[in-house]
Amino acid sequence: MKAAIAFTIFPLTIAAQWLNYPTAGIPRLADGRPNLSAPAPRTPDGKPDLSGLWKAPNGKYLFNLAADLKPGDVPFQPWAAELYKQRDGNLAKDRPSARCIPHGVPDAVAVAGYPFKIIQIPSEVVMLFEEMSHFRQIFTDGRALPSDPNPALLGYSVGHWDGDSLVVDTAGFSDVSWLDDPGHPHTEALHVTERFRRRDFGHLEIQITIDDPKAYTRPWSVTENFNFMPDTELLENICNENEKDFRHLVGR
Amino acid sequence: MRAGAILLCVALAGLHGSAQWLKYPTAGVPRLANGKPDLSAPAPRTPDGKPDLSGIWGWDDNRPCPPEGCPDQKIGQEFVNLGWSLKGGLPYQSWAAELVKARRAQNGKDDPQSHCLPRGALRMHTDALYKKFVQTPGLLLILSERNATYRQIFTDGRPLEPDPNPSWNGYSSGKWEGDTLVVQSNGFRDDSWLDSGGSPLTSAAKVIEKFRRPNFGTLQIEITVDDPKAYAAPWTVKLKQPVVVDTDLLDYICLENERDARHYVGK
Repeated sequence: MKAAIAFTIFPLTIAAQWLNYPTAGIPRLADGRPNLSAPAPRTPDGKPDLSGLWKAPNGKYLFNLAADLKPGDVPFQPWAAELYKQRDGNLAKDRPSARCIPHGVPDAVAVAGYPFKIIQIPSEVVMLFEEMSHFRQIFTDGRALPSDPNPALLGYSVGHWDGDSLVVDTAGFSDVSWLDDPGHPHTEALHVTERFRRRDFGHLEIQITIDDPKAYTRPWSVTENFNFMPDTELLENICNENEKDFRHLVGR
Repeated sequence: MRAGAILLCVALAGLHGSAQWLKYPTAGVPRLANGKPDLSAPAPRTPDGKPDLSGIWGWDDNRPCPPEGCPDQKIGQEFVNLGWSLKGGLPYQSWAAELVKARRAQNGKDDPQSHCLPRGALRMHTDALYKKFVQTPGLLLILSERNATYRQIFTDGRPLEPDPNPSWNGYSSGKWEGDTLVVQSNGFRDDSWLDSGGSPLTSAAKVIEKFRRPNFGTLQIEITVDDPKAYAAPWTVKLKQPVVVDTDLLDYICLENERDARHYVGK
């Protein structure tokens, strides 16, 4: 079975880089295609295994984290509303990722066209992002969030299991990152809660709650869905290599 | 054991009050009676019996400080010259020797690292920043503190591609031979540097790395580079690196508020 698949795919892989190499451990249908609605795999300790290559189906939440909220329902503090208007109105030319500073939490997963890989081991969940080839660590070894950490672009993440959901708390952010590309702002007071749930083999859901009382009058949430990408791999992506765009971003 | 762990936490609590897990105890470290890591204990093994290379690794502190004193960030000899231990140095082809001379004369101002570009697979080993190995079935992952980047070494038996798209890290596939992980790589670019002295690596390179963990505290990496375009003969160097426990990688984004590159002038 496996030999047959490898043989079928072989002509495609010439001059490639494992872009068509079969992923191990995928439940398959009779015709060899992945069975994406099979049950989610589990680790030896019985927890759902989130490991795999995932991709946002489109750029909806990168282009607006609040896409599912009614206009006017984003609970901005007045200064944050003003800043958002200014950033969005200026074609987001000061967006950190335009200067090749990686997307962070929560927007790195939402970058359409670039998959991310989850590697789950007992003590942590590692996320590898194809875009800008950077990683994020989520510790699941029971440690507490640091009390007053050095502010960091990705913050500091700890996770615990609540039934079949991995609940990830992240704090200790610097205020460099934006929550999405148009520029929903946040402060160092930001606390993000993400609930990761692998609904079945082929589908991952992340419910994201933004809690930043300095920028928003109350917490607000969004749920994003991701598709499993079988039989391929991450590519190397170096944003500042031969980068010639930034100087041309003029805003309005 | 558990009581010991709690005691340790209490002892360390005072240190990490306002830090970021820089003093957080690593789980599974064999300890001496005084609580210090037992570096000569046997290497840990994964459930399938292979040595477990997982952990944070540093670099060999083998470079004497200059007369004016040690820099804040000490570097190893291999950081500057990967072939420092070889009699006669690396066997450069003549154009490569010229290139290295020119790069050194320019104070290495075009070093990719100095422009926030990747160090590449081999230079990740010799960085003066930590790297974390995460060994899982089918994959050895290396997380580099510099620029929060990573390298994947597949151990699922996949063959190297014949003509992959050139990349900084290349493409790596490894298999165990006894207690040694033997990793083959190809698919490198023509313009990455192997050290801050500017030793080149080209797309013709085939690289073999042999990873061994002879005890808990030591990682050995034997690197063989066969790059006939840049070097007259294949060459081999050996690295010996210490485990680093009770801390973790910091968040380091090179381009964040980067203000150096515009000031590099060379000569």
